[in-house]
Amino acid sequence: MKILIADDSRVMRQIVVRTLRQAGFGDHDLVEAADGKEAFELVNAEKPDVVISDWNMPHMTGIEVLRQLRAAGNNVKFGFVTSESTPEMKTAAEASGAEFFIVKPFTAERFDEVFAPILG
Amino acid sequence: MSVEVEVNESDLAEMVEQVWESYLDPEGISPLIPTYDENQPSEVHSSVSITGSWSGHVVYASSRAAAQRAAAAFLAMEIDEVSEEDISDTLGELANIVGGNVKAMLPTGAQLSLPQVVLAPESSARYPNAQRISGVYGIWEGEPVSISMWHSSAENKEEGE
Repeated sequence: MKILIADDSRVMRQIVVRTLRQAGFGDHDLVEAADGKEAFELVNAEKPDVVISDWNMPHMTGIEVLRQLRAAGNNVKFGFVTSESTPEMKTAAEASGAEFFIVKPFTAERFDEVFAPILG
Repeated sequence: MSVEVEVNESDLAEMVEQVWESYLDPEGISPLIPTYDENQPSEVHSSVSITGSWSGHVVYASSRAAAQRAAAAFLAMEIDEVSEEDISDTLGELANIVGGNVKAMLPTGAQLSLPQVVLAPESSARYPNAQRISGVYGIWEGEPVSISMWHSSAENKEEGE
């Protein structure tokens, strides 16, 4: 499967990639986006199966990316990896069709729990 | 309405411990050892600002060596491979992670800024109308690291609600 990782922090993108590997999902095709706008564009260009997105990003936040994708009829599996997590954010994520919500700092076990059903 | 801070020192310590467990010390061999010394020196720092239901800043400060070691741990690199950019990105992410966790404990309606990184001591920074309200101060592999919270009083103008 193709996985798009969207985070404005290069360090965090690398940590997400490494944690995916540690959790046993390293053999998937990984694509990276450095902000929300690039994520939105790459979803259309690369057609990933799953999007793992930060929430707070320049140009477009993660939730804006998700909403715009859904508004455009794109149903790619989409979820958040974020250091911010409030009940309102989780509700907004679910209401917009997010599949998962992972809070930073996260562990490989948490990735396994979330991604095993999605990535197989 | 002004809101009392709902994040105390032990909450902050727990968040910091999670960061160490997840990223900086996953093997559990080099924890952050508390010194309780809020005046310990720093050479670099990063911060995020929170505005809204609570206003203030979360500041991560450390020696340069500790920042370099954090970057090496974050990026799974050798310490001597770490670049200036790796250090500043790592510092930004550390402030972001702790700030995000702090924000999650605050009342609804708080906004978190993108992180700011300054490769200069925390003592060089000024947070007008804000005062340090709590912090975790420690030594990590012999190097000083601190994470502190600063509360801005300028927002507390609508008292008597």
